[in-house]
Amino acid sequence: MNERLKGKAPRKLLFLFEILSLSLIFLYSWEGIQTETYVIAVGLVLLIYFSNYLLGRISKGDSYIFLIVCMLISIGIIMIYRISPDLGLKQLMWLTFGIAMFFAAYFATRYISFWNRMTVLYLAASYLLFAATLIMGSRTHGAINWITIAGVSVQPAEITKIILVFLLAAFYGGDEKYRRIRNAELILMIVVYSFIGLLFLQRDLGTAVIFFGVFTGIQYIYSEDRRLIWANLGLAAAGGVAGYLLFDHVKVRVTTWLDPWPHINDKGYQITQSLFAISEGGFFGTGLGRGNPSFIPLSYNDFIFSAISEEMGIFTGIGVIMLFMLLVYRGFKIALRQENLFFRIVALGISMVFGIQAFIIIGGVMKVIPLTGLTLPFVSYGGTSVVTSFIALGILQGASEKRGKAGIVDE
Amino acid sequence: MNSERKRIITILIALCLGFVFLIGYLSYFQMFRAQAVRDNSYNKRLWINEDNILRGSITDRDGEVLVYSESVDGEAQRIYRYDNLYSHVIGYSLRDYGKSGLERKYNSYLVNANENTAINELINLINPTGVGNNLSLTIDHDLQTRTRELMSGKKGSAIAIDPNTGEILSMVSVPDFSVDALSENWTSVSENPDSPLLNRGIQGQYTPGSIFKILTALGVIRNGLPEAIYQCSGSTVIDGYTIRDFDESGHGPLNLEQAFAVSCNTYFVDQAVAMGHEQLREIAESLMFNDRIDFDLETSASIFPEASLGLTDLAASGIGQGRVLTTPLNMLMIVSAVANDGYMPMPHLVESIYTPSGMNIESHKTESRKVMDKGEAEALQRMMREVVASGTGTNAGINGVQVAGKTGTAENSSGNNHAWFVGFAPLEDPQVAVVVLLEEEGSSGGRAAAPIAREMISFAINRLSN
Repeated sequence: MNERLKGKAPRKLLFLFEILSLSLIFLYSWEGIQTETYVIAVGLVLLIYFSNYLLGRISKGDSYIFLIVCMLISIGIIMIYRISPDLGLKQLMWLTFGIAMFFAAYFATRYISFWNRMTVLYLAASYLLFAATLIMGSRTHGAINWITIAGVSVQPAEITKIILVFLLAAFYGGDEKYRRIRNAELILMIVVYSFIGLLFLQRDLGTAVIFFGVFTGIQYIYSEDRRLIWANLGLAAAGGVAGYLLFDHVKVRVTTWLDPWPHINDKGYQITQSLFAISEGGFFGTGLGRGNPSFIPLSYNDFIFSAISEEMGIFTGIGVIMLFMLLVYRGFKIALRQENLFFRIVALGISMVFGIQAFIIIGGVMKVIPLTGLTLPFVSYGGTSVVTSFIALGILQGASEKRGKAGIVDE
Repeated sequence: MNSERKRIITILIALCLGFVFLIGYLSYFQMFRAQAVRDNSYNKRLWINEDNILRGSITDRDGEVLVYSESVDGEAQRIYRYDNLYSHVIGYSLRDYGKSGLERKYNSYLVNANENTAINELINLINPTGVGNNLSLTIDHDLQTRTRELMSGKKGSAIAIDPNTGEILSMVSVPDFSVDALSENWTSVSENPDSPLLNRGIQGQYTPGSIFKILTALGVIRNGLPEAIYQCSGSTVIDGYTIRDFDESGHGPLNLEQAFAVSCNTYFVDQAVAMGHEQLREIAESLMFNDRIDFDLETSASIFPEASLGLTDLAASGIGQGRVLTTPLNMLMIVSAVANDGYMPMPHLVESIYTPSGMNIESHKTESRKVMDKGEAEALQRMMREVVASGTGTNAGINGVQVAGKTGTAENSSGNNHAWFVGFAPLEDPQVAVVVLLEEEGSSGGRAAAPIAREMISFAINRLSN
């Protein structure tokens, strides 16, 4: 069957969902419909329609990942708009920019061939971004992970995440010369651990876990020295215990994970508010606009999953989880089909970033694992998060196309 | 398949299992944990929800509306139609000071907030009510009003019950308070030394005095009546300590029935000592002493000393003095058991719960437990009848109605005796049982409490026969 035809039925379903959820938005704000409401509605439909149409014309690669993500951004923006119309409009802007960057990233992976030979550049860029964060960073919600350049706040760690994937892919699937260095793999591990250590210093625990997860996954698949994997796991366990003993901010996370109720007024506030929201929603939710997600701090950001569960019910929550599962599945399938080793690893790395990040924040807000501040990719509000997630998706789209040894797409 | 592929699939499976685990946990949480989390008092949604919901109405047994809510400018307002009259039974629901009484105990029904099942959610989506369920009480509003009138100016409690079913017909505790003005008067009400917030009928623990002789008498009957006629000389010496009768000249020769009718202390002191602590305690505990009464409101337990007593303490217990304490409700239940041929009915206030559209959700089922033999109950009935016919309780007598009862005048640390009366009527087919306690009244049960009981019984019987 023609690849382009295959995408059509799900695309129709996506539009059905858009229309239903937008009519809910209209119902919810019936008494005070503002220009913003129309802008959101028309803007979202047009954005998703044209980007899907465009992608169908230009890419012969995977036709599902973008659809899955469109569903996620739709759920996200409707929730954000319901919490704050202003943020909803801003999010629409970020989504537009993000999708533009998706195409840019797609073309960059499609037409540029030297990505697999830039190991040194990736290393330098990573350390540079970490240094910039430590020097210029400002602290928000306990983590120092924002820097402001020309009036725009950016979270460098979001970009470093993608660079890490490229670094790992270039090491295992590109530059042979680095792998021939004595103890090359050990050095790589030390480099990654230095990243994780720096993230610890910035108190960005969630991102630290993503780095560890992606590295361990790629190492498990590609490392020739299997003992290193055990060393890695042992080191991580020891590091976790040491982190717990040394850093109070780690201890707080564990305490409020085990039992937040005695600390309901201070350090356990966020997580208990999140649990209130999830339990309020039941299976079908209170209905859009009929719950109180604004009781949760950062309901539009880290805790968007709880807000969705409150108003749309855990059925929608489970839907979101399944969308991420599908996204990861498609990402891995892309990797399995990809003949070019570098892009295979890139596809795996990006899929793992999406999967692990979603798992950590969703598990965190429902108190299955300790809560660490992270955005839910494509769903949470936030410029850096949206744009970098779309860049990563653009790269994954590029990696889904058939490539020759050189890495250029076979036309 | 090469090892790279295998490993890729392993990682994929691991990630997918992670997501499946999240889905599983989320479902588990929603089904088994969510309710407890939602009910946490720190959950601001509880109050938001209640602000949006019109709490259900509360009516008396004939449908007279006692409390209802109405929406004033979009805000729910609770209207307490009889303010002070139900301050202990229905209680209050105030955002700043919480809830009490039935407003508290039946909150989840009144706001209809505890039916978070998938089916109910669907029904709610289709038909959002925003109105809570209603309560129908066993209270008779007219009798309640009359009881309150009779108790005005007093301190204490009066309760009327249907001894066959355990339905509370009226329940008054004085002093009471204005529910409407409670927010403004909170400090003065809550710090008042007379404790108006206390529901004396079910939470106050008082020295029972002679009404406890019903229990001692039950012991005497159970052991087989003594053959010898007792000689009352007006005092008895227990362990070197002299216990005197109310009337020190002595009652002369007495059998159990006569001793009970004149409330002879020396008789029951000697009987209690003969019986021993164990048996007296067993009888008391079989009648709900040292036990929590399961009721529609929070109750305190009556107390009979559990550790073995010295002889003087034991003697005092036999006539309801010493360390014995009881709640008026508990004594009323014991009298109901006597009236009900040995079956003690469990008391209740809420007859049924029904939806705004009138659909019944829950009805109370009458429960009773056997606490004495029919023969024992009948003997006690006759003895209690004698009290009112010719003994200390003549003030409770009503023309044409055979009233049975027992008076009590309980010495306590305040120096002013509590005046008690417990009783039921009519003897042959008991329709109502009452307890009247006048705290620190400084008068005898026969003089102060019996007339109030008489009026309650007479009013109740008139109401019921109409």
